[in-house]
Amino acid sequence: MKFRNVSTVAVAVAAALTMAACSGTSGGTSSAGSDGKSFEFWSFTGINQKQSVTQYQQKKPDVQVKLTEVGNAQETAQALTTALAGGKVPDLVLIQGDDLPKFVQQPQNFVDLRTLGADKMKGDYLDWVISQAVTKDGTIIGIPTDVGGMAIAYRTDLFKAAGLPTDREEVAKLWPTWDAFIETGKKYTAATDKAFIDNAATGVFSQVVNQGSEKYYDPAGNAVYDRSPQVKLAFDLGIKAVTAGITAKQSSFTDGWSAAMKKGDYAAVAAPSWMLGSIRDNAPDTKGKWDIATIPGGAGNWGGSYLAIPARAKNPKAAWDYIATNLSPQGLLEHFLDAGSLPPTPSVYKDPKLTSVKDPFFSDAPIGTIYTDSLLGLKPFLIGPDSVAIGTEFLNAITNVEQGKGDPAKAWDAALANIKTAIGG
Amino acid sequence: MAPYAYIAPFFVIFAVFGLLPLLFTFYVALYDWNPIGDHLFIGLDNFARLLADARFWNAARNTLSIWLLSTVPQLLGALLLAHLLNHVRLRFALLFRMSMLVPYITSVAATAIVFSQMFDRDYGLLNWLLGLAGIGPIDFIQSVWGSHVLIAVMVTWRWFGYTTLLYLASLQAVPRGIYEAAAVDGAGNWRQFVHISLPSLRPVIVFTVVTSTIYGLQIFTEPLLISKGTQTCGPVRQCQTLTFFLYEQAFGQFRFGYGSAIGVALFVMVVVLAGINYFLSTRIRPERP
Repeated sequence: MKFRNVSTVAVAVAAALTMAACSGTSGGTSSAGSDGKSFEFWSFTGINQKQSVTQYQQKKPDVQVKLTEVGNAQETAQALTTALAGGKVPDLVLIQGDDLPKFVQQPQNFVDLRTLGADKMKGDYLDWVISQAVTKDGTIIGIPTDVGGMAIAYRTDLFKAAGLPTDREEVAKLWPTWDAFIETGKKYTAATDKAFIDNAATGVFSQVVNQGSEKYYDPAGNAVYDRSPQVKLAFDLGIKAVTAGITAKQSSFTDGWSAAMKKGDYAAVAAPSWMLGSIRDNAPDTKGKWDIATIPGGAGNWGGSYLAIPARAKNPKAAWDYIATNLSPQGLLEHFLDAGSLPPTPSVYKDPKLTSVKDPFFSDAPIGTIYTDSLLGLKPFLIGPDSVAIGTEFLNAITNVEQGKGDPAKAWDAALANIKTAIGG
Repeated sequence: MAPYAYIAPFFVIFAVFGLLPLLFTFYVALYDWNPIGDHLFIGLDNFARLLADARFWNAARNTLSIWLLSTVPQLLGALLLAHLLNHVRLRFALLFRMSMLVPYITSVAATAIVFSQMFDRDYGLLNWLLGLAGIGPIDFIQSVWGSHVLIAVMVTWRWFGYTTLLYLASLQAVPRGIYEAAAVDGAGNWRQFVHISLPSLRPVIVFTVVTSTIYGLQIFTEPLLISKGTQTCGPVRQCQTLTFFLYEQAFGQFRFGYGSAIGVALFVMVVVLAGINYFLSTRIRPERP
């Protein structure tokens, strides 16, 4: 009894690996044959791939797409890892940009999309976006589905009550720099006694750190998180936002964060393009009270995902047809118009269909131009294999200060020490 | 041969799903093992690193603290309640007994969602009540003790009824006559509890102590669910338990070798603690006249 229960821990670790032995003989699903008429697609929640699948099935009604939303982006990457290590793999899988480097380092697990025609499409995408999915020898393992241009979403009614301007052009003029942004926050907090932004970690640090041309790795792939000027700047600004007392101390996507958003307990939130959907879903009653202004500090990108085909996929051709159809510039433009994901294909940025989009939830803000403008002129940074782990420790250090437990003066050193432990071996 | 054939199903299944994965974990722990890449033999390096890793000791501390906070009050409370339920003549006794199982059959996920909302800093019921009394607000999830208490409350809530029923079932087997004889001799409720209920419950107490040690040290779902997707369970890993740390390393960082080493360390801890607890709880003996 005792022994068996203890070993469940071991089962958890080793299940994936022992399954390798069984998977050769299993594969019992009969409907997912290799006839090219159906394929399995793993996506994550919150990114509305259902819309994209519907769009595809309208064009190819005879193809059956079995979409599974595995969990959030990280959970989906974990499930994919387990599957690649020795389980039943999907035919098509969505991978978030931050998780991609770990898979790019092991390209033997994926179909080289050049064999299916990715060479011809490669030029359609923003160079720095597609290059994240290309290995040193030129193997393409993923095609980008979207990019995360950045902006600030703010509540016009709350700004008005605090005596701040509400027009998006004038609001943008309030904060040409992040220092000015924090000053604006102080004014807001002084006038209303309420928090200005949700939190300092993702609200300030994650934004600023994504605006540089170098993040945690230099272009050669060396870890430079401890000396990259943009990282230090982002960290210091995060701490500054904490000590200015303008944050609601609500971590993104928690219950408290959603509740505070509904109640208007903070007035502004950093809004990469994919955040707009979250705001709509979380606080439907605030429709029309939001607007979107440009972000301080200039161009930047946060997020974005890729579609890849595992090497052991049973229906790679059907999966590729989905990629070729939906991730063409026209397909991406349609998806943007339906679901709001920002296309990584610059050829459609001047398309009137994109530039004329106005979002009524956000006071008819021209979301197409606001976000694509934030992407043009962007100097991209390299994402490395430990980017997620490094980012987590920086965010934790800032949150710890925000919670009143960490010493702001020692937070940077503490974060560096934690990162060394985390990625050390 | 027939007897061996009869017992074979259990032992075969145990070997395949219990013993082999366990041995395989020991094996993987000796490697730098990328699940989708290379496997590099590094001997005991993972263990050397583990012993020097502050995050491991932090997780071990959290696990022990949560285990103590959840197990001790749970078992003591269940003992007392079982004694009372056995003793006092209640109307609708069956209803009370059955209702204690409701938390046990409620999904952990649902429990975690409800409790973390109740314990929320700004919008939680508990902090609203504390606010009426002029205390707080307390940020349970973000503080070390708060998060441990929150998890312990969830675990206790879930297992309390189950443990009570186990004790109660065992108590029902004790002949009423013994209690009546004790009452005639002038033993009050407390003395009856100490001298009759407690010794006769010895086997089931040993069982619950050992199983709750095993379960408590592997606690995972509750901290995972209250931490909302951050694998460190808060900025200073304040509620990261050992299994959660294992999960972070193996499935978050793709370090299966290191994760397995954590699993082995946890295995050793569970065996040692369950052994100690077994030893201690068998000390309970009926008193000789």
